[in-house]
Amino acid sequence: MRTIRLLSLLALSLSLLGARADAELKWDHPIQEFHRVPEDKEIYAHYTFKNVGAAPVTIKTVRSSCGCTTAHLDKKTFAPGEAGEIVLHFSFGDRKGLYRKGVSITTDDKPSEPFVINLLVDIHDPVTMTPALVYWKKGDPAEAKSVQFTVEPTKEVHIKSVTSSNPRLAAKLETTKAGEQYAISVKPTDTAQKESAEISVQTDFPSDAPRAYTIHARIK
Amino acid sequence: MIRALRQFAIVLGIALLPALVSGAIQLKWNAEVPPKKDEVTIAMVHNNWSDHVLWVDARTRAKYDHAHIPDAVLLNEDEWNSLVAKFLDAWDPDVPVVVYCDGGSCDASHAIAERMRSELKIEKVYVLKGGWGAWSGK
Repeated sequence: MRTIRLLSLLALSLSLLGARADAELKWDHPIQEFHRVPEDKEIYAHYTFKNVGAAPVTIKTVRSSCGCTTAHLDKKTFAPGEAGEIVLHFSFGDRKGLYRKGVSITTDDKPSEPFVINLLVDIHDPVTMTPALVYWKKGDPAEAKSVQFTVEPTKEVHIKSVTSSNPRLAAKLETTKAGEQYAISVKPTDTAQKESAEISVQTDFPSDAPRAYTIHARIK
Repeated sequence: MIRALRQFAIVLGIALLPALVSGAIQLKWNAEVPPKKDEVTIAMVHNNWSDHVLWVDARTRAKYDHAHIPDAVLLNEDEWNSLVAKFLDAWDPDVPVVVYCDGGSCDASHAIAERMRSELKIEKVYVLKGGWGAWSGK
């Protein structure tokens, strides 16, 4: 009879799937936000935590939703009262704009309840150039198409030059308001055949490493 | 002892039953999640466009080099500036673009699709539901 009770207890324990109430990681800042520029290239964000429970906790998995974000963990098991940290590395690549990267962490005390730490990064560019693509279909009228180059009010960015890689797709700069608003007009010689050009828009911003923006032109 | 083991098996079965039922319901639920507004399935690509689409692989270059959908073009945010010209050379305004990444929690395909719409003003852009996993497991 005692054997049956013991085995039943074991089965009940299995059914609870390891939900231990006496172990817990407490995170200091599980959501972190950064404002950066493309030239920063990367971020290392430190997420500190402490085991505030009475039993050791082991981190079982750390999963990122993006290959651009990797997680580094010095050790996996933390004794009661012990602190630790996970370092997230976010490589910008050619990203721009607002990114939210979640990293899901499971521990042995709550294997079915992943905890998510979040990294919010705004990779800010004061210039908006739209559209970055102008195209014509073969036989279309060879009319000029315009690209708007707009600088946010707090900054001043001047265009130094506009250069097309293909003379059959010529680009012309028109200044609406120096430092704030420009238009780049792209005009094909004709649209009889397929053509492609990359138009480089060279600026003076930022002063230490001025950026060049690219307009893509195609005849399809 | 045999009796004890039999009873143990019964109790274990009772304990696991709710978990198995819950798992089955969850699998069924996941299988029936319809594609989002900008998503397509492999069946939709086949039925709607007779597989005539431009596949765009939004994964890393290493994964693309290892294996990719035939004729897919590599375009990811790590190398957007250097890859976008090659994508535009392959692009045809009359052919839908379907972007894929790893699937699951991967968000790179949605990011690339959104960037095509917002920066390049390309309208016929979709994301493959289930990503590479849906293709490789078909």
